[in-house]
Amino acid sequence: MLSIQNLTVSVDTKTILKGLSLAVPNGEVHAIMGPNGAGKSTLGYALAGRPNYNVISGTATFNGEDLLDKDVHERAAAGLYLSFQYPLEIPGVPALTFLRTALNAQKKLRGEDEVSAPDFLRRMREIAKSLKIDMDMLKRPLNVGFSGGEKKRMEVLQMAMLEPKFLILDETDSGLDIDALKVVSDGVNALRSPDRGMLVITHYQRLLDHIKPDQVHVLVAGRIVKSGGPELALELEARGYDEYLGVAA
Amino acid sequence: MNALTPLDIFDPSSYPTRRDEEWKYSDLSRLLREAPERFAPVELDWDALPPQQADGNAVIVNGGFSQTPKILANLADRAHLTYISWGYPKAILGHQGEGHVRIEAGRKVCIFEVYDFGIAPEVHRECTYVGNTALHFYLEEGAHLIRIVILNEPAAAISIRRSTVETSPNSVFKQYVFSTGAKFQRFETHVRHAGHGAEVVLDGAYLLKDKRHFDMTTRVTHAEINGTTSQTIRGLVKDQATAVFQGRILVERGADGTDARMRHQALILNDGAHIRAKPELEIYADDVQCAHGNTIGALDEESLFFCQARGMDEATARGLLTHAFVLPVADGIEDEEIRGKVLEFLEGAGENFHAV
Repeated sequence: MLSIQNLTVSVDTKTILKGLSLAVPNGEVHAIMGPNGAGKSTLGYALAGRPNYNVISGTATFNGEDLLDKDVHERAAAGLYLSFQYPLEIPGVPALTFLRTALNAQKKLRGEDEVSAPDFLRRMREIAKSLKIDMDMLKRPLNVGFSGGEKKRMEVLQMAMLEPKFLILDETDSGLDIDALKVVSDGVNALRSPDRGMLVITHYQRLLDHIKPDQVHVLVAGRIVKSGGPELALELEARGYDEYLGVAA
Repeated sequence: MNALTPLDIFDPSSYPTRRDEEWKYSDLSRLLREAPERFAPVELDWDALPPQQADGNAVIVNGGFSQTPKILANLADRAHLTYISWGYPKAILGHQGEGHVRIEAGRKVCIFEVYDFGIAPEVHRECTYVGNTALHFYLEEGAHLIRIVILNEPAAAISIRRSTVETSPNSVFKQYVFSTGAKFQRFETHVRHAGHGAEVVLDGAYLLKDKRHFDMTTRVTHAEINGTTSQTIRGLVKDQATAVFQGRILVERGADGTDARMRHQALILNDGAHIRAKPELEIYADDVQCAHGNTIGALDEESLFFCQARGMDEATARGLLTHAFVLPVADGIEDEEIRGKVLEFLEGAGENFHAV
């Protein structure tokens, strides 16, 4: 269970999240929707521990463990995975090297054995195939010169390899055409399991046709202003956020 | 125009000092107080070499540079030249040499130069030597020259490796230089776009540690229309090492359609390491596109966060990104075997280069 209580976060001197509370039980998929500037991405970054995202007050725990106390990499090793809206290009580091370094770093921190090169490659091949990623692409520097769709597929590949316990998908649908959206959604859906929670951040209802949420939350001006079932997303799509803007103010 | 500053290492009065603008950051006269003992080039009889040496590999000892053209004439279009410099303990030995190479019209040549102590017996390693060499390349119309250089010289070496390049219409010159520096090391390249539509690439990377000094100086003159110059130099310096980057691109009046881009990006890994960078653009033509960028600093914080968010601790992430910083320079090398050798060199040189 990811549990967030009264979380207030500022970036530089600006307060973005203003007492946000949210609980996502294991096995459930929750969607966060909201207008630009509401604080959707800030929530993801704050949970992942990005520098300069200062938690002013509130708590965030994952399966009872305090997340905010941990360093960025410790949060990852605890099972938190933030899929970036704009995955970074890492020149000079082949995707395979990047992922193996990350996986082994997590395993080391958890006191597990490192994965052997043959096992790693075998697993990589399987996952890459299901995501229609060419193995040659994995020998190239991570995300360098990749298209928007390729970058998002790489994100899903990393999720599948790292097997996190909780996924935060930050606008995973941005920059995807319909075919790529399907491949990426299928990849994410394949990771749905009773012991894995997900938080899907999106602008549009479209993604939620593919990744069906158990609950939808509306985030406006740093707070959750409404929560409901999947039908809430359709409602937002039809009517927009206008009626909530007054609530937040 | 392409003239190199005259320098005779056996004549101390010719040594440049910091009062010479071109040598301001690399003061040879301070390091070399007197002329070294002359170490004659070992002239190999190329014609007498066993046939297996004619497979594209040649070893040139102590600056026997005058042999370079002869060697190249004998070699295939892909040549691997190893320039070995030897020294002896307690003596400062010097050698110098010069070679002229003409690449005929339409010919495509790839030269892989390695400056090394190579197969030298143990006694020659880590010895002081002074090497002053120059190569002059003339590219005829449509000729291609790909030049890959590895400078893997000992810490005590004083090394001045200079070259001039003159292009002809539609010729291509691409140079990739990789260095670990030396006590004093200067790699200087003067290129003159003497023919229209020539393409020039001047890329390079350096990884310097201890008290090593590396000076990358380039002088490019666009004297004809529609020439392109693209330069990316990346570097890492740590300990008390010093890197110097002096890049000048001069676009002469009338050299319209010139497209020239110069980039120097470096990371200083600790206090005490130095970088002196002096990028210059001098433009006298109207219709040109020119840009230069120079960034010296730390690792990209966003990339660092990205790596950490995937589970790497800060030290691992920094190590990975620092090491990776210079590698993309090798990506431009099309010849896979040579690129492999360059990456191997960078792997070895890059050990323990963690940004802090």
